[in-house]
Amino acid sequence: MTLAVAALVVFWILEVLPGDPAATMLGISATPETIAALRTELGLDQPPVARFLGWITGMFSGQLGISYAYRVPVGGLIAERVAVTLPLAVLALMLASSIGIALGTLAASKANSVIDSVVMGVAQLGLAIPNFWFGLLFVLLFSVTLGWFPSGGFPGWSGGILPAFQALVLPALALALPQSAVLARLTRSSLLETMGEDYIRTARAKGLTRGQTLRRHALRNALVPVLTMMGLQFSFLVAGTIIMENVFALPGLGRLLVQAIGGHDLILIKNLVLLFVGAAVIVNAIVDIAYGYADPRLRVSRP
Amino acid sequence: MRRALRHPSFLIGASLSAVIVFIALVSLVWTPHDPGQMRILSRLKPPDASFWLGTDQFGRDIASMLMVGARNALLVGLVAVGIGFTFGSVLGMLAARFEGSLLDDVVMRALDFVFAFPAVLTAILILTLFGPGLVNAVLAIGLFNIPVFARQARGATLQVMTRDFIRAARLAGCGTASILVRHVVPNILGLMIVQASTQFALAILAEAGLSYLGIGTQPPNPSWGRMLNDAQTFLARAPLLAIFPGMAIALSVLAFNLLGDGLRDIIDPRLKER
Repeated sequence: MTLAVAALVVFWILEVLPGDPAATMLGISATPETIAALRTELGLDQPPVARFLGWITGMFSGQLGISYAYRVPVGGLIAERVAVTLPLAVLALMLASSIGIALGTLAASKANSVIDSVVMGVAQLGLAIPNFWFGLLFVLLFSVTLGWFPSGGFPGWSGGILPAFQALVLPALALALPQSAVLARLTRSSLLETMGEDYIRTARAKGLTRGQTLRRHALRNALVPVLTMMGLQFSFLVAGTIIMENVFALPGLGRLLVQAIGGHDLILIKNLVLLFVGAAVIVNAIVDIAYGYADPRLRVSRP
Repeated sequence: MRRALRHPSFLIGASLSAVIVFIALVSLVWTPHDPGQMRILSRLKPPDASFWLGTDQFGRDIASMLMVGARNALLVGLVAVGIGFTFGSVLGMLAARFEGSLLDDVVMRALDFVFAFPAVLTAILILTLFGPGLVNAVLAIGLFNIPVFARQARGATLQVMTRDFIRAARLAGCGTASILVRHVVPNILGLMIVQASTQFALAILAEAGLSYLGIGTQPPNPSWGRMLNDAQTFLARAPLLAIFPGMAIALSVLAFNLLGDGLRDIIDPRLKER
């Protein structure tokens, strides 16, 4: 549903609103003849409704149109780039959640101690630092100064997993750090709230140590809001890949999008945007399902 | 007030923000050098007595550019949050007042939809459509601020509306408008200001990101994000170029985040994170 509305809005914004897409794509130096030719090629002489339906039905059969700037089918172009962006986003999400939940748990288990203050201070700082600056600093430290990692570019998966992985580690970490700061703060406050519940007191009364109750009883219950946040964060992560791929010159979807914008490649833009929105919708659906695993009580009651 | 003065994150946040605002104001009347002036002979110079933070690839003074950049960042935050705050609060309050009505439904659905769009993506779309530039970037950031404020306002208003003094006001013959303006607004304002502070920090981050991509603030106007983009080319030769603007962004965001956290604790101690 959301996806259908999104498709409509994207289409409307890009193709119906700002005058002639053909003229936009060709720029100011275009002659009326070339514009007319492109209009026919793009099928712009058909009414908007027909074009919209054409796009949507094309999507289901894998015919997304021909990129104007690259002169190749958009579907193939996108598929190539997904192989970079998807591993990047997944790696970043994994890093963010493991760092965030670990640090949050550490801070909560030593609440109001020096460790707690230090961790929370670092998290506050992590919130403030833009991820692309992290990226630049990493390049400066690990690539320019130490020479441990490549400063950018992507060797492709065909050259073996290790070099490709090496190219993705720094951008993924730069993407993950600000997100893990958010997750650490949330995990900590959620854990401390849970630790005040009755069943925690019961567990303590049974003779379990504070650490044992934290791990066995509190953590799982405290993770529900953390999961919600991870779903919300995915859209930040997607936006982050757009920027991060430009920092590290990775040939992914985000870089493709920025190049498409630079080249006024409307066909490519509309498909990419819809893909990003679609990914966000899917991730939110996955989060909804994950609630059920984290907290079985939520399985039936969620509408 | 006394509580405010003893609250560490509020203190740090407030003083840092004050310094940044002060620098931005000073840049209106004075900067060490003309931020736009290029000096071919003193390109990529390290910091010295004349150029406190060095010069960039055109020989422009970094310190002056950072000062003007502060003005830019604050302006973006102010306008973008202003848009979100105004439209969001009004929509949220109206949706809450007419809870369950068609208006509430439509408003909340529409906002959910804006929410589902990754914010930077929305901004990129808008900038593609209307062309890159500061004004459009601010409008785009403002747009995705609206749902944030609307949700907060709706939730807070719903809570306030159940209180006895609202019923009393209605019995006394107050209309919807007067109830919202005179009784609801003062009660939710504190919460909204806290949110505004956080959103202000996010707006600065968003503008830096868009300008870094080259679709936000356009040259010759200095922007911290743009300066980072320029710096990337010269990372090996002049690493300091990439350090200072990033620090400026991080410090401003930190300042307004701390300010927001502090205000929240002071205004509503119950929300305090233990």
